[in-house]
Amino acid sequence: MSRLGLSLTINGERHDVLTEPHRTLLDVLRVDLGLTGTKENCLEAECGVCTVLLDGRAVNSCIVLAAQCEGRRIVTIEGLAGDGGLDPIQQAFIEHGAVQCGYCIPGMILSAKAFLDERPEGTEAQVREALAGNLCRCTGYQKIADAVVAAARSRARGR
Amino acid sequence: MTHRTMTVVGKALPRFDAPGKVTGTAVYAADFAVPGMLVGRVLRSPEAHARIVRLDFTRARALPGVRAIIGAADVPDVRYGGAIKDETVFASGKVRYIGQPVAAVAATTPEAAEAALAAIEVTYEPLPAVLDLAAALAPGAPLVHEEYADYTAIPVFHRDGNVCNRARIVVGDVERGFEEADRIFEHRFRTAMVHQGYTEPRAAVAQWDSSGTVTVWSNTQLPFEVQNTLAEILQTPPSRIRVVVPGIGGGFGGKLRVGVEHFAALLARRAGRPVKVATTSEEELTAAYPRQGAVIELKTGVTRDGRITAKSGRICFDTGAFAGSGPGVASVATLVLAGPYRIPNLHLEGLAVYTNKTNCGSFRAPSGPQSNFAVESQMDIMADALGLDPLDFRLRNIVREGDEGPTGQVLHAVGLEECLRKAAAAIGWHDRRPEPGRGKGLACGWWTTTGGSSGVYVKINPDGTVALNTGAAEIGTGALTGAAQVLAEELGVGLEDIRVVSADTFATPFDFGAQGSRTAFAVGGACRAAAADLRPRLFALAAAQLGVEPEACTLADRHVVAGGKRIALAELARLSQQTGGGLIAQGTFIAPATTYDAKRVEGHAYPAFHSPSFHAHAVDLSVDPETGEIAIHRYVVAQDVGFAINPTYIEGQIEGGVAQGLGQALSEEIVYEGGRVLNANLTDYKMPTMLDMPRVESILVQHPGAAGPYGAKGVGEPPNIEPPAAVANAVAAATGLRITTLPITAEKIALGLRDAQAAGT
Repeated sequence: MSRLGLSLTINGERHDVLTEPHRTLLDVLRVDLGLTGTKENCLEAECGVCTVLLDGRAVNSCIVLAAQCEGRRIVTIEGLAGDGGLDPIQQAFIEHGAVQCGYCIPGMILSAKAFLDERPEGTEAQVREALAGNLCRCTGYQKIADAVVAAARSRARGR
Repeated sequence: MTHRTMTVVGKALPRFDAPGKVTGTAVYAADFAVPGMLVGRVLRSPEAHARIVRLDFTRARALPGVRAIIGAADVPDVRYGGAIKDETVFASGKVRYIGQPVAAVAATTPEAAEAALAAIEVTYEPLPAVLDLAAALAPGAPLVHEEYADYTAIPVFHRDGNVCNRARIVVGDVERGFEEADRIFEHRFRTAMVHQGYTEPRAAVAQWDSSGTVTVWSNTQLPFEVQNTLAEILQTPPSRIRVVVPGIGGGFGGKLRVGVEHFAALLARRAGRPVKVATTSEEELTAAYPRQGAVIELKTGVTRDGRITAKSGRICFDTGAFAGSGPGVASVATLVLAGPYRIPNLHLEGLAVYTNKTNCGSFRAPSGPQSNFAVESQMDIMADALGLDPLDFRLRNIVREGDEGPTGQVLHAVGLEECLRKAAAAIGWHDRRPEPGRGKGLACGWWTTTGGSSGVYVKINPDGTVALNTGAAEIGTGALTGAAQVLAEELGVGLEDIRVVSADTFATPFDFGAQGSRTAFAVGGACRAAAADLRPRLFALAAAQLGVEPEACTLADRHVVAGGKRIALAELARLSQQTGGGLIAQGTFIAPATTYDAKRVEGHAYPAFHSPSFHAHAVDLSVDPETGEIAIHRYVVAQDVGFAINPTYIEGQIEGGVAQGLGQALSEEIVYEGGRVLNANLTDYKMPTMLDMPRVESILVQHPGAAGPYGAKGVGEPPNIEPPAAVANAVAAATGLRITTLPITAEKIALGLRDAQAAGT
């Protein structure tokens, strides 16, 4: 199969990859670039564990072709916080006990990031709607919702 | 040791593994890769019951990128299984369910592996199938396993045809008990097959080395059991099988048994290269280890004043084409069917029944939700019929301190009354039907803290940190954070000082595994034992340095303290390394056996509940009379946890357990038609989303038990048990409609209300 040369901007860094046109962004992130913080499960955009930011919006990377991402900005969980620190959302997830097995958490955090960037003063009801595409089987979602609302407040204080 | 004020246990500290999980650096089995790794895929049966008349790999083998193809003829002829050795790696001779593995391939890319699967030629000759419990139990039914009598099985099980175990509890004389009753109630309930729904698929990478040793990186909950099962399947000594658990994205009982590890190991052996196998969502929903659907029949006698005199009942589990956990689940069910009630006469049966469906297994509190749904629904039905308040009716019958359990075990630390009263009070029980279409429901229960042994190695490092080396895997519950808190408390250090190494069958001590609500309980117990071994050695070393008596020493704030003097653990560890090989201890724990009356049980794999926990759930909800949709206003759980080692993660267990329980109560069902699953994807298999879940209020009741660290009891499974019954009872209170089958979908309620209206009731 013929391959495409793609230039992807991931976490602020340019990556040149050579890949078949049918391959998904998820696959290229995990297999070609070793960015396994983006998780893999249903591959049908039903569970949300593969969520990344594409030009600031949360997308299911399992149904985005890598070839669609040429020249666009991609942020994965590895690049959410600069300099090895923690984003306020990550910090809030730890503090609120929102993490159990953790497999859904990178996607959950990136969905929260996209939401809060758009709605900095989001209410719990809005958070629950925005994150309804991210399945979690461990937590019952309560501490996740609490963490996102708390992160919104701490971001507001930080401005 | 007498306890000073506790500084680490009982505190809501953040779990030690959270930073890696929020930054994406934590590695799960599904993320794991080794160089040169091939992709493994499994060919599965499209027939529920059929003879395999031809299996031909010729065309598939010739395809590019294909490195190995194996079927039944290519692997050791071995039957394996925990309770009954009825399973084979691949279907041999005949297939028994849609989804059963028939062959597996390893190829250089996923596309090549898929192409190879498509090129394998199989011809099936269909056989009559048994697709539900009634068909399987009918006289003269086709046998799922004609040769069942020849299988090796745990001898205690009573097997007969398609029944792979009939477990029984018999106490007193139920017929006499029914004679003493003023009313006798008979009801039948049905529950659906449901999936654990972990977000990480089952995954394994296997790699053989030149010594003939295979390393398997897997997300199993039970690395030591998988090691032994692989030894049987591969016909290789366990000492040549290293199972390592990198990280697990949820298990809930679905990752107990060998799942994909054997395919990876067999393919890797054949291909001479490492192989990774991971399941798809479709495979999960058609060929995993879900919770058995069940039919429950109960007959209960009650006096006019609300005393239960006798109960007979039977629960039949549709356990699928292989026994899996079924025979044990059927045993446990009888204890749940008895309920946390004092009933002098019991005759309770649990049957695990083979059908031509996927092999069912263990799902968080196996048998609990099905049995409890029936028991607690019937409690409300009976209370209403007798004109009694359901809470009062329960309080008249519940077990209390010193009472006997159904099999004669003496119950201690029974916090049930407190749980019931607190849960009921929290939702305003006095006003059970506050407005039309709104009602409140209660359900209570009891559960076990599974025993089994745990060992740990503990080492004090020369920088003062403490290594905790355990064979238990952290499946997400936070149980190893709990165990680390226990160790920190016992050694006078902080949680942040503990470094956990876990779950490598070559490097870590044996552990019975992350199952049965036991990890914090048992590993915590082993930590206490290791600390007890270390303390006198620390004190002897410190005493010599400080010029004090060892008896004067205590541990606090990372130091040994005596009088006004102190010396850091770090300093003692350095000293010990120079003079005595370091400060290393082992600790082991096994819960003391629970005494029961063996004459009361037959065919039983689980005759008593160890360190039992008690719990009550209360829900306040409204039902839309047109659509049948449920809106939950309040959901309260009062759970007797013995001692709350870490309240945050216990709440997390309760909130998550209720979410899974509400899924089973309201929306989840693996729908079978003609032996085929109709909804094998995550859109049609409806797990609760963040929008669907109410807030769950947790009340931690603490009646310390004798066996667990600081009195802790198992907490992980119980919250999953009561939601279906609590919801059913609240729906009945709200609408008068009694739903006796799960899930209680909006459609079922709307149709039921319409029928009731048409009938003029």
